Amino acid sequence: MLSCPLPHLCLFSISFISPPEMSSCFLDEETFCQCCQLFLQHSHSLCDGWSWEQVKGSEEGYLRKTALGTGRTRCNQDQQRTSSDQHQERTFSLSFHDDDGDDEDDGAVCCIQEESSSSSVVQYEYHVLYSCSYQTPVLYFRASTLEGRSLCLEEVWDSVHPNYRQRLQHRPWDTITQQEHPLLGQSFFVLHPCRTEEFMKPVLKAALEEHRQVNYIVTWLSVVGPVVGLDVPLSYCTQAPEPPHTPSGSPQPPSGSPQSPSGSPHFPSGSLQPPALGTKPG
Amino acid sequence: MASVPVDKDSADQKLQFAPFSSALEAGFWHQLTQKKLNDYRLDESPKNIKGYYYNGDPVGLPTRLTLEFSAFEADGPSPARCCPVTGTLYNTNTLEAFKTSDKKALLEQQATEIWDSIQSGDALKDPSLLCKFLLLTYADLKKYHFYYWFCFPALCFSEGIKILKEPATLEQVFSSKQTSALQAAYDSLCSETGTSAVPYFLIKYTEDAVQVAQLRDWDSFNTDLSKVTVGVYDPCTLPQHPGWPLRNLLFLLASKWGSQIDVMEVMCFRDRTLQGSRNIQHSIVFQVKLPVPEQSVNAVCPKNVGWEKNPKGAMGPRMVNLSECMDPKRLAESSVDLNLRLMRWRLVPSLDLDKVTSTKCLLLGAGTLGCNVARTLMGWGVRHITFVDNAKISYSNPVRQPLYEFEDCLGGGKSKALAAVDRLGKIFPGVNSEGHVMSIPMPGHPVNFSEATMSQARQDVEHLEKLISEHDVVFLLMDTRESRWLPTVIAASNRKLVVNSALGFDTFVVMRHGLKKPKPCGPGDSSDPSSSSASSSSSTPAEPAQLPAASLFSNIPGHRLGCYFCNDVVAPGDSTRDRTLDQQCTVSRPGLAMIAGALAVELMVSILQHTEGGYAVASSSDDRMNEPPTSLGLVPHQIRGFLSRFDNVLPASLAFDKCTACSQIVLDSYEKDGFNFLSKVFNSSHSFLEDLTGLTQLHQETQNAEIWDMSDDESI
Repeated sequence: MLSCPLPHLCLFSISFISPPEMSSCFLDEETFCQCCQLFLQHSHSLCDGWSWEQVKGSEEGYLRKTALGTGRTRCNQDQQRTSSDQHQERTFSLSFHDDDGDDEDDGAVCCIQEESSSSSVVQYEYHVLYSCSYQTPVLYFRASTLEGRSLCLEEVWDSVHPNYRQRLQHRPWDTITQQEHPLLGQSFFVLHPCRTEEFMKPVLKAALEEHRQVNYIVTWLSVVGPVVGLDVPLSYCTQAPEPPHTPSGSPQPPSGSPQSPSGSPHFPSGSLQPPALGTKPG
Repeated sequence: MASVPVDKDSADQKLQFAPFSSALEAGFWHQLTQKKLNDYRLDESPKNIKGYYYNGDPVGLPTRLTLEFSAFEADGPSPARCCPVTGTLYNTNTLEAFKTSDKKALLEQQATEIWDSIQSGDALKDPSLLCKFLLLTYADLKKYHFYYWFCFPALCFSEGIKILKEPATLEQVFSSKQTSALQAAYDSLCSETGTSAVPYFLIKYTEDAVQVAQLRDWDSFNTDLSKVTVGVYDPCTLPQHPGWPLRNLLFLLASKWGSQIDVMEVMCFRDRTLQGSRNIQHSIVFQVKLPVPEQSVNAVCPKNVGWEKNPKGAMGPRMVNLSECMDPKRLAESSVDLNLRLMRWRLVPSLDLDKVTSTKCLLLGAGTLGCNVARTLMGWGVRHITFVDNAKISYSNPVRQPLYEFEDCLGGGKSKALAAVDRLGKIFPGVNSEGHVMSIPMPGHPVNFSEATMSQARQDVEHLEKLISEHDVVFLLMDTRESRWLPTVIAASNRKLVVNSALGFDTFVVMRHGLKKPKPCGPGDSSDPSSSSASSSSSTPAEPAQLPAASLFSNIPGHRLGCYFCNDVVAPGDSTRDRTLDQQCTVSRPGLAMIAGALAVELMVSILQHTEGGYAVASSSDDRMNEPPTSLGLVPHQIRGFLSRFDNVLPASLAFDKCTACSQIVLDSYEKDGFNFLSKVFNSSHSFLEDLTGLTQLHQETQNAEIWDMSDDESI
């Protein structure tokens, strides 16, 4: 750090430091894990499919959920493939025609599935990761056809409710970008965390004033999830196990040690400590 | 395969099964790619993998067997409440091997294993042996095309299975008391077996109680064979049909007890939880008559089926093209696009990015300015960038010219135009870039030494004319004034947008040349004025009547703006002749080229965003407080920067009717006489152009005026 040669410049730099009332709401990694664990406890009681995925040979992990839905896959492969690809595929399927056509003569198969019905089934995958640099959770997601082809953003947007689509363009917190999944190295869409703290702050502040307890993950996910078709049932707020996020300043230990259903997270920290406060001066 | 018509009244109704649809998550293909590259390599031997199916789907979804990224950990856990299935992966090294794989034999082999496990009794002890899958793949990792074919082996009865009692929902069959008893019994069976899903189980029920047991406990559980009920974890959601896993179970039961059981009751257990409330009432129950296998003792494997149909309903493999999400080049392209679109979504909603990214840019000069212009164009997503330069990279270049490296200087140095193209491709493979090593003929630099030099000059002119006509925007980024003359004339004649940038030591100019009004379309006119403008929306520019009249310095419409040469009263000549070395080399403060290069591109983008494009009225410094004409702000004529003061000004000036480059007489001479006219310019001294445009006369008049001035001075 260079010394400040001019006194008035020192004063200038001081004005960048936020006053105490401008406290910011960060989530440290331990609290993130605890919030996830409590989130999962409730998820298991709802059977809504969340699980904790541990990265092999690492203490890191993430919340994961897959869901199925129907969606229009507008720019499907035919439009994107070059004609030579299509030609190749055509001749490719032709080459199978003669020897395999007679393989099966099976009267015990019901013929109900139309081509269109299965091709418009979309597999959604949601991951909640912790971002050390932003000290917030981050939502990664992708959608794919049953063949495993990831949809482009336009296709994903088609399945986003129009209201949310508008919101995406006007509200500050919904910046979708494409990034490599930091733990898997595969291409995912990300709701960028640059504004997460900004919209979480008033919520946590209000909770502090009303002496309500908040699970950061639940609150945050209920805001960002619907944008990408991920709903968080109300019961996470109303019936969830005691949240570790106690902005009131008198943290209480979570009621009882959480059950350990299969697939429950393994956390680096051994026991559940009363977590750090959600609000701290910036 | 023809569907068997289902006649509800027929006493002969046969049971039909919903086949599995393969469902692959994107992560599966990523993992297969990793395995192929790192573990399997050329190993084609079969590998154990796993998938799972689920009995809690909402109605309408196909019966799926899902493989996700964890499929390669055959012993790893499956998602909660899902039923794991073991499978065998045959990954071939070539497409040919994929095609010629003996599908019948592969299926037969799996079916025989199932049949053996039925006969040996192993399947009864471990019913998961009944449900298997085969996956034949070929991964084309150059194109990221994946060919695959699933097989879910099933043993067939030759006669089919007769339905004795049609499917009904559990709700219709069980009381609510029985339903909750079944649910509790199933759950305790799960915890007994240490799993969260039991694929097959036995059921016994009375009006008050429901018991379930594992299949292996058949003998102790089913003491009375007059009424036997089996439960199957059923992934199907159809009200009339069971899913595929039941098939081999029925075969097992038939081969063991077919002759002893008259009525077999089947419960397809479906277990859905929605918003925390669990429901099994949509499970279906029906009764069948098990056929007696004809050759139950014979070791020959029964008829078997199982290869999945492709999306067209035909027997054949599937292919999925994952270049979009796996090819690093495609990923770079979509990320770049997405990043630019963010700008539009978040900050400048009316930004027309396509207008920018589809613009074809010709960069004349690939030095300090050219390198910086190219990088800024790439940042804007411009894909079509062409370089023209005749120089080679020298040792002093790389530190200032960000597209070159030390290595590029070795052995005499690579050609700048070609090295720049290589580098752009390395920075962003999606770029469409070309380099042309050529000299641009210049006024006052004679080309008439020999027949060869003349024809070379003619060739260079034709080449440049072709390049300019093929591009939308021409950037003048050379290091001499006179080399800008020829492209200025050609581009003005072609009605192409020209962005010009020139550097001094600590000053620079970035300007757009005035864009002449479109030529009237006459016969024999080879250039098409409508396509010559970079801005698609700028049709014939009307005089902006609503605006205050253009004065000498403000509100000048685009077609009346000057070019680089308009402010000069001498024609371009050999500017290097009488100069010292420091005057010949472009010596400028190192940051200047980056600033000017970036401003040149940003000026182009702002022009393209204006509805009138190159015809837009020039903004001036005075307009800084006014409503900007485009979403990106002002569209000036010139930006003149003074690094010593860290200051930019935005002057605008009119086209000069005696301009040596863009005046009507020059353009007319060029259009009429072509190379003959140009060669005269190259081979003559200043006076030729100055005589032509009337500058000589102007000089004369000015001199006279100066004499008057001086005499005035003397009088003071």
